[in-house]
Amino acid sequence: MGWTHRDRILAALNHEMADRVPMDLGGAEFTSLTYPAYEKLKVHLGLEHETKLMSIINSVAIPDESVLQLFDIDTRCVLPGAYEGGCDRWPDENVHVDIFDVTWRRSVGTDDVHFIHVDGPFYEGTPTVAAVEAFDWPDPNNPGLLKGVSERVRQIKASGDYAICLYLPGGVLHRGYAMRGFETFLKDLYKNRDFVCRLMDKLADFWVGVAENVMRAVGPENVDVVFMGEDLGTQNGSMFDPDAIYAHLIKPHHRRMVETVKSDADARVCFHCCGSAYHFIDHLIDIGVDALNPVQVTAKNMEPERLKAEFGERISFWGGINTQRILPHGTPDEVRAETRRIIDILGRDGGYILNPVHNIQPEVPSENVVAMFNEGRTYPYRRKAAW
Amino acid sequence: MAVADIYDAVINYDDEEICALVEAEISAGTDVSVILQDGIVAALDEIGQMFSQGTVFVPEMLMAAGTAQAALGILKPLLVKSGAKPKGTIVIGTVKGDLHDIGKNLVAMMLEGAGFRLVDLGTDVDPQVLLGSLQENDADILALSSLLTTSLPEMERAVATVIEARASFNRKFKVMVGGPPVSQEFADKIGADGYGIDATAAVNLARQLVLT
Repeated sequence: MGWTHRDRILAALNHEMADRVPMDLGGAEFTSLTYPAYEKLKVHLGLEHETKLMSIINSVAIPDESVLQLFDIDTRCVLPGAYEGGCDRWPDENVHVDIFDVTWRRSVGTDDVHFIHVDGPFYEGTPTVAAVEAFDWPDPNNPGLLKGVSERVRQIKASGDYAICLYLPGGVLHRGYAMRGFETFLKDLYKNRDFVCRLMDKLADFWVGVAENVMRAVGPENVDVVFMGEDLGTQNGSMFDPDAIYAHLIKPHHRRMVETVKSDADARVCFHCCGSAYHFIDHLIDIGVDALNPVQVTAKNMEPERLKAEFGERISFWGGINTQRILPHGTPDEVRAETRRIIDILGRDGGYILNPVHNIQPEVPSENVVAMFNEGRTYPYRRKAAW
Repeated sequence: MAVADIYDAVINYDDEEICALVEAEISAGTDVSVILQDGIVAALDEIGQMFSQGTVFVPEMLMAAGTAQAALGILKPLLVKSGAKPKGTIVIGTVKGDLHDIGKNLVAMMLEGAGFRLVDLGTDVDPQVLLGSLQENDADILALSSLLTTSLPEMERAVATVIEARASFNRKFKVMVGGPPVSQEFADKIGADGYGIDATAAVNLARQLVLT
């Protein structure tokens, strides 16, 4: 049979093998390229077009259709539109205030052009539940969020049979960190729990409201994959206690988010969690997550062999090509060898979508990007019988 | 009441009680160096070990370090007055082009809790600023952090710059590096004197470096 792009992705998520490993680039804000890497790649490929950004804050490019077709990428991304009004503003080109009244700043004159939150509405003192209630929350029914969504779906459907990936940014932790400050938020999980729990309630309400509206605009029947996520791990371990903190305070929100997008659609959920996700994977499986991204293989307990053996029958893996060492510092031959190694381990019996660990960073040579996707496209899957 | 109660307050992240406990211990005539060593440093070592073993996590480390810092606010002026020398002076910062400071802050707090004097230059720090601060503070150690793979070349440049200038310094400071994309291999390659995989390792490393 002739495999469509969509079939490949769905086969992988059903733990079945297709004609080749399915591949993603730009399906979500964390599976794409940084702006400098994309500019470099365009020159390398001899392509000229204006670069559109998926996120200014994270300096992430939307790969152009010409690039996606060249690499034979199986996914196409749908994003919510831009919120209209609210307190969103740019005091200058290096400072942004978002709709949650969080101030973001970037360093100037370096390769790294992404922004970091430096102030937010609850940064100071010991905020209360009443302060959360009194905050002027953004409206999930803002019309801007739906702008261009159904047009984008029609455009994708007209161009081919691709797996449609809906990326719904936010969540309860990332925005919580940004509004309260990272260190204080983490301490509040113990020291100011009522406040931090109410903050997460409100953030979940907003996310769910946006998700319901955008799913309706996309058409539930058109959504193949919903991307969501937040970082639960660090390089060397869990960010917080996976059971005492995550399971009790945070997981219920993630369960509600997953249930929202699955309630009236046959969508699969890909959950993004950087760092060592190991101790959270059973929890994610439990709430109905279908795939884990970005599979940071250099973090603690994240060796691909271990992940495939322990979780491979219950969750798929989306990512896994080493962005911390091999993509930036390896040769194209080393990139090809690593790509084959990861396909052999994580792609055994399906359950794997090829993508780097997080966005391709500015210093990654374009030759290595090309080597990774070319290898993915041409490398024959090793069938079960061969093992 | 005893130094053990101060130890317990750090272990239990009790940043409300710790100041009263420290004040009471000082009033009772206990040597401030003993309060620091047996109350604060020993408790943070215990928490640090649990962190490395994966039985406590980032919030617990932050709370323990915050509790220790509350106590240090009282102890530091007294230590200075008593003529007790800090274990050493450490200049710390995130390399140029990198704005990430979560890991760096945690390392700084743990080093301070271990009895070092810390000069925190923040993030996105130019190598010349590092040099100026090392000189001005007569520092024993430079601790450099990076989160992004993109800023590793900046770390390499910064280390090369300070090591070249070190020859002209009276105090031959040591350079230690850390951060998610950094490895022992990378630290060796760029000529750093040491690498710590986490905050606990950084404290142990700093203790060794001031001895050599």
